[in-house]
Amino acid sequence: MSHDPWLWIGAFLTISIFSFLYKDNPVYKFAEHLFVGVANGYYIALYWHNSLKPNLFEPLSAGQFIYFVPFLLGLLYFTRFIPRISWLVRIPIGFMIGWGAGVSIPATFQAHILKQLEGTIVTPESFVNPITGIWALIIILGVICTIIYFFFSKEHKGIFGFGSRVGIIFIMIGFGASFGYTVMARVSLLIGRIQFLFGPWLGLIK
Amino acid sequence: MRWFELISRIDRRIIYLLLTIFVILPFFIPLKISQNIMYQTKKLFDFIEDIQPNDKAVIISIDYTPQTQPECHPMALALLKHCFRRHIPVLGVSFDPQGPGLAVEAFAMVANEINREATNHQDSIIYGEDYVYLGWKSGRIAAIIQMGESIKDVFPRDYFRNLIDSFPLTQRIRNYKDVAIAIIVAGAAYSDEWVMYAQPRYGIRVGAGVTAVMAPEYYPYLQVGQFSGMLSGMKGAAEYEKLIFDHGYTKVPGKAGTGMDSQSMVHLLIIVFILLGNIGYFFTRRKR
Repeated sequence: MSHDPWLWIGAFLTISIFSFLYKDNPVYKFAEHLFVGVANGYYIALYWHNSLKPNLFEPLSAGQFIYFVPFLLGLLYFTRFIPRISWLVRIPIGFMIGWGAGVSIPATFQAHILKQLEGTIVTPESFVNPITGIWALIIILGVICTIIYFFFSKEHKGIFGFGSRVGIIFIMIGFGASFGYTVMARVSLLIGRIQFLFGPWLGLIK
Repeated sequence: MRWFELISRIDRRIIYLLLTIFVILPFFIPLKISQNIMYQTKKLFDFIEDIQPNDKAVIISIDYTPQTQPECHPMALALLKHCFRRHIPVLGVSFDPQGPGLAVEAFAMVANEINREATNHQDSIIYGEDYVYLGWKSGRIAAIIQMGESIKDVFPRDYFRNLIDSFPLTQRIRNYKDVAIAIIVAGAAYSDEWVMYAQPRYGIRVGAGVTAVMAPEYYPYLQVGQFSGMLSGMKGAAEYEKLIFDHGYTKVPGKAGTGMDSQSMVHLLIIVFILLGNIGYFFTRRKR
């Protein structure tokens, strides 16, 4: 069993959080509130030492007065708390939306639409290996049928309805895979904590 | 209460208890279930195998948090072991505020493990020569784009506040032209930004280590070649651990591998519960 007091604190907090599985209790509440407080303190210190100080206040104190522009823009966010001049918050928000849209629209088209469309195109090379050929056909069938399912401007009847029903099958397989992976992820977190409790803390496993 | 009503209303606390037992048991009675290596894991492993030693660097972006540590930390450790053993320089970065603590621990753990066995300077892993941890940066989209022009402009100092020009490694590795691949080990969608902003503009190869929850979303990236490999959750980490163990890059099996027995047991238990729940529901509905 460990003699490190930090491991004991970690073990106590882990067990406190797990105690919620039985029912809500003051020990759980304590651990939860402690986590929120510690997380806030951590973020404030991190942003100060790694962002605000080196990227804003140090250049300003070194005479680089151009940094007053982002500083001022940042300060304008706080005008939300002063109703008389709260409209000024639109300036930094507009700046961020303009920059964000300009940067992300072409990148999203390229990476998430055009490149993904490339993946659905069946070419003669797809059939060099019969297995990859079959998968290429399944992918294009899945894409078309799933899009049909989400096309609501035409009634899902006849061949259109058939495509839509096939689309549901693909969607359900997707949901099933997501559910399976989610179970795996959550169980992994439990395994991690059990490894901590039985390993470094209790010393029962390596 | 009929049997089918009973199995439909199992107290959740009994389920939690059974889950815990099924997780704990394999640690004391190992089942040694063999791991099949999925192609996306092998692809990433092969990519790193093909990088020339002491040439281009690998960027490892450590963007996971303590919450996703059991899945992502073994990935980071296995990747670092692989790179260090092959003498591939590593640049560490973080764009998640909770990343730095875990990153520093991961780098130190792997470097110490290798240095304990090292007999000369060449076998050792030296900070500044073999790896540099650049630390955390806010505004990650701008940072990822700017690093393609100059890493020094984004990170003039490393995490420990040293000037990065003072290190031989970062004097040589200036931008993405000197980087073979960026591997993003993350518990959230950080790899998207590398694929969206860094890859089309600078042609950098991207690999990913993602949590199991995120994995299904990223298979399309793998299929079209936007990812040069992917580790999916604890299973991906266990597979990578097995690959580096089988190739002699480490003598000790990793933590993810030992957790996979528990994973398999719990999956079996969950399948049983799903079947019981459906049988109970079916008979209850028929009775009505």
